Amino acid sequence: MNSLVRTSKASLWLKNLNPTVTSVRNHWNKDFKPGLYPTTEEERVAAAEKYGIHPKEYELYPDDGNGNGDYPKLPDIGADLRDPFYPWDSPELKRNFGETLHENFDYLREDRMDEGKTQFRPLWVLWAQTIGVIGGIGLVYYLTKDIRMIIPVVPPELPKDGKVHYTFEPNN
Amino acid sequence: MGNFLGHVPQNGIDLWRHPEITPHPEEEPTFDPMLGFPNGRKPRVMIATKDELVSAKIPLQDRDYCAHKLLIYQGCRKDTFPFVVKCAHEKHDFLNCKYDDFVIRMKEYERERRLRVKRQEIIQQRQSQLIEA
Repeated sequence: MNSLVRTSKASLWLKNLNPTVTSVRNHWNKDFKPGLYPTTEEERVAAAEKYGIHPKEYELYPDDGNGNGDYPKLPDIGADLRDPFYPWDSPELKRNFGETLHENFDYLREDRMDEGKTQFRPLWVLWAQTIGVIGGIGLVYYLTKDIRMIIPVVPPELPKDGKVHYTFEPNN
Repeated sequence: MGNFLGHVPQNGIDLWRHPEITPHPEEEPTFDPMLGFPNGRKPRVMIATKDELVSAKIPLQDRDYCAHKLLIYQGCRKDTFPFVVKCAHEKHDFLNCKYDDFVIRMKEYERERRLRVKRQEIIQQRQSQLIEA
């Protein structure tokens, strides 16, 4: 009963007690927004520290109006290239808690693109295989397109006015 | 005429390489039907009348020289439905008629082809005679 009374009061309910409430109330869009594009060296170092990246590895997207601000430019590496045996905090995303995400993380997941993976065969071999198979089928078609399969009979003999069809019995 | 479907590829190649001696299956015979029959040939007889066929709503492609047997067969089906297996003899009769019709069509094609071969031989003979002369 006491707990029921407590939850009925909004001021108590909105306290930082419940993890759900905390995550909703303290993680608004404005909290996800990157900061302004760093202009001075101090701002740059501070931004790198904010994202947990060494200042020497801290790269930035160009300040071209896309609104990336001080968000770091991480290498394009798909989730397939991450170690599957490492004990990730979030194994389905192969991601640790608090890890800075790639800006396009939504298409670098395991079920999406495979950036950074080396091809099993060189690209020209893949093209040659494709063109060889499709072109081979096309070549066979081209060489044999004039050979029609026909049934060696005359058209159906339907009686009509002014047309006489004959049997093969001679008239005596 | 014996190995009917076995000759299908060769017929296709003949139609491509030698169209002068291979009639197309969609074209009607071009020679005189009485050629080679000094007494003439018996004409095929259409027994079912047009009124019967229209009345029975027989499709246009089935209004051939076996249509009277098709009329009997379909009438039997209508009378005995749902025990249409009783119409086995009527069906057999009808299909035999269709078979004979198909044989006549095959013979017509083969006749046309052989006459074309003969014509081609005559043309070549005349050409060789012209060259010699």
